[in-house]
Amino acid sequence: MRVERLVSMANDIAAFFNAEPDKAEAARGVANHLKRFWDPRMRRQILEHYSTGGHGLDDVARSGVALLAEEPHN
Amino acid sequence: MAEARNSPEATAEATGVAAELVRGAARMYAGAPNGAIYYGLGVTEHSQGSTMVMAIANLAMATGNLGREGVGVNPLRGQNNVQGSCDMGSFPHEFSGYRHVSDPAVRGLFEGEWGVPLLGEPGLRLPNMFEAALDGSFKGMYIQGEDPAQSDPDTQHITAALASMECVVVQDLFLNETAKYAHVFLPGSSFLEKDGTFTNAERRISRVRQVMPPRAGLQDWEVTAKLSEALGYPMHYRHPSEIMDEIARLTPTFRGVSYEKLDRLGSVQWPCNDAAPDGTPTMHVGTFVRGKGKFFVTEYIPTTECATRKYPLLLTTGRILTQYNVGAQTRRTPNVAWSHDDLLEIHPHDAEVRGIKDNDWVGLSSRSGDIVLRADVTDRVRPGVVYTTFHFPESGANVVTTENSDWATNCPEYKVTAVEVVQVNEPSAWQKRHRAFTDRQLELLRRHEATPA
Repeated sequence: MRVERLVSMANDIAAFFNAEPDKAEAARGVANHLKRFWDPRMRRQILEHYSTGGHGLDDVARSGVALLAEEPHN
Repeated sequence: MAEARNSPEATAEATGVAAELVRGAARMYAGAPNGAIYYGLGVTEHSQGSTMVMAIANLAMATGNLGREGVGVNPLRGQNNVQGSCDMGSFPHEFSGYRHVSDPAVRGLFEGEWGVPLLGEPGLRLPNMFEAALDGSFKGMYIQGEDPAQSDPDTQHITAALASMECVVVQDLFLNETAKYAHVFLPGSSFLEKDGTFTNAERRISRVRQVMPPRAGLQDWEVTAKLSEALGYPMHYRHPSEIMDEIARLTPTFRGVSYEKLDRLGSVQWPCNDAAPDGTPTMHVGTFVRGKGKFFVTEYIPTTECATRKYPLLLTTGRILTQYNVGAQTRRTPNVAWSHDDLLEIHPHDAEVRGIKDNDWVGLSSRSGDIVLRADVTDRVRPGVVYTTFHFPESGANVVTTENSDWATNCPEYKVTAVEVVQVNEPSAWQKRHRAFTDRQLELLRRHEATPA
């Protein structure tokens, strides 16, 4: 899939969770959403993109993807 | 709501709705003995549609308008069985009864019943399937009673994806737009030709009863079962009632549902189980399924699709009474006497500055594509907003709509597309290609039918 589309979807998800005042909680919200609702190939692709710099990901989206990267079965 | 930036005075600037009207509506809703919210599809067809639905739920909880008769949050569905298809796990991350596929206990139930291992991972949603088709990682699709080549946003993206798949199977009553891209076409059956159930927005399960044999020979579920058998997995259902029995075995909220009970009671509202053998007319009485209600922070986040100098108007799409969805069924009826093409509604002011008169041909363009249709100059729409329907394939309203979608569900943002409108004299390049492609498909079909088997 086009990685730009995945970045834009991740940023849209992060924009919702960013309303949460606790930013660690916001990042957990993003990671959990990606885990529960994104097909594995989409998760693999965003994780690869993150590992090579994550261009275009905003702060909360980046923190969320970082949390996902730490999970054993991401 | 307590913050000044969220006061009705502050939001009036963005919404155009006067603060006193918002306060009046709020007091009317919160102060009434019973307040119920009913909302249409327009709420969800925005990039923040899910947030809005959560805000509606917040409002109902904050005012105590849940959990008894005469209140509640009620979506008005676009089709009779939207609720039913969601209940049955048509989301790519859920089994029936809204249970996530990652739950090993739930997955084990289905694996035991079906005798096959099941994936514990969410699948792709429709817009992501088309994206994945374009990079070659998604190769086939079985489409029943749906016409994404007409109904889904950014038509040229959809048709490119359909054309790139190795196997597209379409099952429908008619050769619709998507069928033109199908490798295999299977006959559909109408509601008069099959047995089954549908579930409406109040969770009410009702029977669909066959009144005539299917003209194409098989009911829809029989076609699916035969396809499954051909692929090496025989299904042994003799009647849809046996499928309902399986649903009842596997789904706690449907445990007590059977055709016998539906025939006896007329209809049943789920949850229907040992605790509520005749069903549950009102949910959330005293408590929610999760215990206490959960309030979500629902910040206003404007869509990224904005009016620009190049595309200064906002297009919103919708439906009219006399045509049903993509019109595959209703365009083939005398309803066309009331409506026989998609019109572009435009405010007299926007029309005048562009030199557009009522019934002129106008070009409608966005960053996705261009189409041509006739103008309906009317003050039904506000200045700055234009509106059209998507009932007729040759007008191609969804050539113009974009890939923007809701952050949580990926429901397309049909209500907001930045566009420009100009007076023109001929159809758009897409419409000419669409005409030529359709003519070619019909010619191939005629030749095939003329060839003896």
